[in-house]
Amino acid sequence: MTRTIMTVDDSPSMRALLRHALAGEGYQVETAEDGVDALERIDDAEPDLVITDINMPRMDGFELIEAVRGHHRWGNLPILVLSTEFSDEKKQRARSAGATGWIVKPFDPVKLSAAVRRVLV
Amino acid sequence: MNAQVGIAGTGAKPGAKPGALRADGFRHIGIIQGDRGVSADPQIMFSTVLGSCVAACLYDPEAKVGGINHFLLGEPQPGQVVDPAAQHRYGVHAMELLINDMLRHGARRDRLRAHLYGGANLHAGMRAIGSDNAAFAVRFLQQDRIPLIVRDLGGNSARRIDFQPALGRSRAKLVRDAVPAAPRRPAPISAPVHAVASGDLDLF
Repeated sequence: MTRTIMTVDDSPSMRALLRHALAGEGYQVETAEDGVDALERIDDAEPDLVITDINMPRMDGFELIEAVRGHHRWGNLPILVLSTEFSDEKKQRARSAGATGWIVKPFDPVKLSAAVRRVLV
Repeated sequence: MNAQVGIAGTGAKPGAKPGALRADGFRHIGIIQGDRGVSADPQIMFSTVLGSCVAACLYDPEAKVGGINHFLLGEPQPGQVVDPAAQHRYGVHAMELLINDMLRHGARRDRLRAHLYGGANLHAGMRAIGSDNAAFAVRFLQQDRIPLIVRDLGGNSARRIDFQPALGRSRAKLVRDAVPAAPRRPAPISAPVHAVASGDLDLF
């Protein structure tokens, strides 16, 4: 069965990069441009994994993670952060919000796909 | 005084600091390859010298904050295989770092305007690295829907760029007989831009 990954990033260029990398590995890719967009579409997208940026307008990655964790249907969904940020403070915040893991950009497609395989249940 | 200057280098290096106030009324900050700078201080002037590299000057007219980067997608050695996908990823990353710094200084993505400079092909007969860099930058702005206001790309002369971030004003001068003063180290295509390992999964 094809697994679905929802990527959340405010940069169209980054969304295109991620789509290309993940679709090439055989995943169905759904994209959202920020946290609000992701929450609006998550029920239709039915993702097996969310990969989200942190710095986004309207609703950032931290708020998105908290909202997904509070969602009756998506409370246990794996969520990876993919961000240019790398401070321990930010990582700790994501961990507290309920993120599954953190990857620092720029991403390497091979490492990204290994990380995805590791957290997809 | 909104003297916020954010300079981020490519590694542990603290980055350039503004110099003394000069006769022209500005504190100059040099931006070398791989660096970027963001400021809302009207006394700051960013300067950089470009050959085949590209500098994107971004400006938010409402927040009155501007930023500049200086990047090279890659400079393959003779015989080295170029991975266009890796180059593209590196370029997107260079732009994202600048945009994120801008957002931290109060800019909004949908208000950004861009000036692009550089992308010269300095050496006849070599692969047109400058053209590749320029084409990437134009494509990125189109894809990210950032209006390109000033476009001064290509040719075969180096350029000196001065950018006033608080006004979003830039100017370029051709540097006829000079190789850019910036170090011509190859751009780290997929190398970590941070002190921490990029791309690795940190599992919580």
